[in-house]
Amino acid sequence: MRSLIEAHNRVKDFDWEPSYAKKPTRYPTRYRIPAKTKDPFRHLIRDYLSMEEEKDNRQYGALEDALARSNAPAKAERRWMEIMKVALPVVNFGEYAAMKSTGQLVDTIENAELRQGYMAQMLDEVRHVNQEAYLTRYFARHAADPEGFAQGFKFRGTNLYNRAGRAALEGFFVGDPIEGALNLQVVAETAYTNPIFVAMTEIAAANGDQATPSVFLSIQSDEARHMANGYSTLAAVVSNPDNLAFLQADFDRAFWRQHAFLDPFLGAVYDYFQAKRTSSYGEKWNEWIHEDWVGCYIEKLAPFGLKVPRWYGEARERMKWIGHTAGLIGFATWPLQFWRFDPLTDADMEWFERKYPGWYGHYGAFWEEYRKMCDPRAGAVPLSLFQSLPPLCRVCQMPCVFPRPDVSTVRIKEHGGKKHAFCSEACEFIFDEDPQRYLGYDTFYELYDGYDLAEFVRENGLLRADGKTLIAQPSLDDERMWTIDDLAALKIEIKNPLREVGA
Amino acid sequence: MSLEAKAPRDFTYIRPRKRRLSEYEAVTCYTQPDPDVFDKQGWYLRSAEGRTAWRKESTRLRHPHWFDFRDPAGLWQRTYVRLQAEQERSLERAVEDAARAGAFADFEPTWVRELVGAHYRVWSFFEYGLFRCFAQAQRETLSDTLGNVYCFAGFDRVRHAQAIVIYLMDLEGQIEGFQDAGAKERWLGDPVYQPARRMTEELMAVDDWGELAVAVHLVVDPIFGEVGLSEMLRRHGPFHGDAVTPLVVSTAERDRRRNCDWTEELVRMVTAAEVPARDENRRIVGEWVARWTPRALAAAEALAPVHERIPRRLGTFREAVERASAAQAAIVAALEARSTEAA
Repeated sequence: MRSLIEAHNRVKDFDWEPSYAKKPTRYPTRYRIPAKTKDPFRHLIRDYLSMEEEKDNRQYGALEDALARSNAPAKAERRWMEIMKVALPVVNFGEYAAMKSTGQLVDTIENAELRQGYMAQMLDEVRHVNQEAYLTRYFARHAADPEGFAQGFKFRGTNLYNRAGRAALEGFFVGDPIEGALNLQVVAETAYTNPIFVAMTEIAAANGDQATPSVFLSIQSDEARHMANGYSTLAAVVSNPDNLAFLQADFDRAFWRQHAFLDPFLGAVYDYFQAKRTSSYGEKWNEWIHEDWVGCYIEKLAPFGLKVPRWYGEARERMKWIGHTAGLIGFATWPLQFWRFDPLTDADMEWFERKYPGWYGHYGAFWEEYRKMCDPRAGAVPLSLFQSLPPLCRVCQMPCVFPRPDVSTVRIKEHGGKKHAFCSEACEFIFDEDPQRYLGYDTFYELYDGYDLAEFVRENGLLRADGKTLIAQPSLDDERMWTIDDLAALKIEIKNPLREVGA
Repeated sequence: MSLEAKAPRDFTYIRPRKRRLSEYEAVTCYTQPDPDVFDKQGWYLRSAEGRTAWRKESTRLRHPHWFDFRDPAGLWQRTYVRLQAEQERSLERAVEDAARAGAFADFEPTWVRELVGAHYRVWSFFEYGLFRCFAQAQRETLSDTLGNVYCFAGFDRVRHAQAIVIYLMDLEGQIEGFQDAGAKERWLGDPVYQPARRMTEELMAVDDWGELAVAVHLVVDPIFGEVGLSEMLRRHGPFHGDAVTPLVVSTAERDRRRNCDWTEELVRMVTAAEVPARDENRRIVGEWVARWTPRALAAAEALAPVHERIPRRLGTFREAVERASAAQAAIVAALEARSTEAA
């Protein structure tokens, strides 16, 4: 019988200090990581492979066998299935970015123990990318309405929420590799994979979607190891006091960047697309982020000098409204999207008021009006309820309407001869730390200013197979669906809101 | 309209290589964003040094659409993991069966000590170095289909490195007096392995993912891997009562063939008739082959003293090197012929 401990010691002794050629510094880091720390990954590759193979067999077996035969996705609540069209491509880029992040950690971190964990995570992330793309295709085949599933990975390039998702998740691997690990392993995986891959499966299951839980729970079984990677990385970072000088700022930024997208987005996904209602995102957030992550995980690191992220208090305060605001903007801009929206019923509104006291007073009027605009014969889209489209944040790409449109923390200022919008004090602060990190792209409005909504839809291929019905719809009514002609007749122009605003 | 009318029941944004979209293509293609494809706005974030998520200049090769690349083996995570889990299970069983049959008693003692113990174990350091090369290169490749083959190639290496270590631990339990010791010192100091270590470290310093694949899969593996693993260990094992070591080696050879195949596919793709930069690409690939061939030969030739320690040699070391070198030259010549034809 071979000794596992001895085997682990030997497979971690592959490192050496090169003397013939110097490896270039490909990913500069300010952090100094000790060469030897705790090992987050105590599996030999042989064991890892058989474990993952077994999990794959179970998960793909379930999808291919019973769930496909019973055509389960076609019977799931359609309201819920619609949001998976956008959620899966967003999450998928997170996995892809994570694969790249671990590649640069393997290159940068001269610590064999930590590298063991990154090595397995790298292949795990390929697994998750494949699983989520597989699930998207599975839904294209089996869902009641496949439009949107069949093209989601294409549409995400210009979609309002997918763009913001990419902006947040690029943080996993663009920049200092340790800053990437803070974004990925410490914030996204440790704080947010529970609400995404655990809590969301409860809602999926309650709404008749059994395929998503099969995939997500299988993914989450890998995430536990990734959280261990994050903890070991963080423990290695704080073990050198010199790192603390920049750790807190990087951690603060990582938390805000992930929060600024994930919380409004997940809030809208959870609360506005459940048909059979269970818990609210606010409740889940309190449980997983506030009590579990901040209360247990981060506070344990206090003795090492790491504090709760700088804008955590503000984030918590914003949690009351940001999901609803993101939901409102999503529904209001439905012609720009690639999934369908199901208007809230009276019962939904009662649920909202119960879960989020005061909700009706701020949002109720919009939802009453929205219901009247679902039929194309009404000749109106809910965008007409607003004076203009909101500016998009230069840093996080989210619309600058948070926490609530009437008390928005938007700020606009000039930099380099151009006006830029920021959704919050935090995003503006982050921009000011190093503006050039956020200036290298064309904004949405620079690309589409002056477009008619119908022109945007045509150019981005947001039309169904008949070439005239819109993929996005304001309701689930299959009898009265909007066509490109209905939209064109309204003559709505996409206008850059910064054109007319003073700095 | 009826929802069912002509509604697409499969991904519509991927051009399949064959008639129908494969599972491999569906779960792989366009998972990497790209401003030249669907992500018109560009990259939202830069590093403090100003770099973007991906950079065209991460390789000197030029291609108008890197997303056209397809892995000839069509592997995605599930099929890759299944393949490697099978390989590892076959090794676990081979060792178990050999132990039950008492086959380790037939291993020729000098062979076990000098070749399996002293030589093969050093190989794990070479493999681990290449793991680090490919893990980093997968970060930079300019499409998802490329990222995956690089990622798997990296994992192949660390799998083999660990398989060697585990195998030697098993031998320690089976063969009286056998001990896995001193490999790292040999890798760091023994003149026999210094050209190999130099080559490995130089590969670790390569900053072009195209060059890395060409160097390792079309030059280093076919010459250095063929001589040090295939010729010395796989071919000679059975003549020393050792039917097990060749099995361990053969798993790495299987990986090697797969990696060679996709690298050939990559070269074919960048030198195809319709690629504007094909001539320049052909010249660059030729430059890389020319740069790495002498290094791989030097690393292989330095192994001569190890070959001398094989108790029952099948021919001379020179012949082994020449065979490997000729086979490698044939791979390159076939690729050159195809790309010249294409032009």
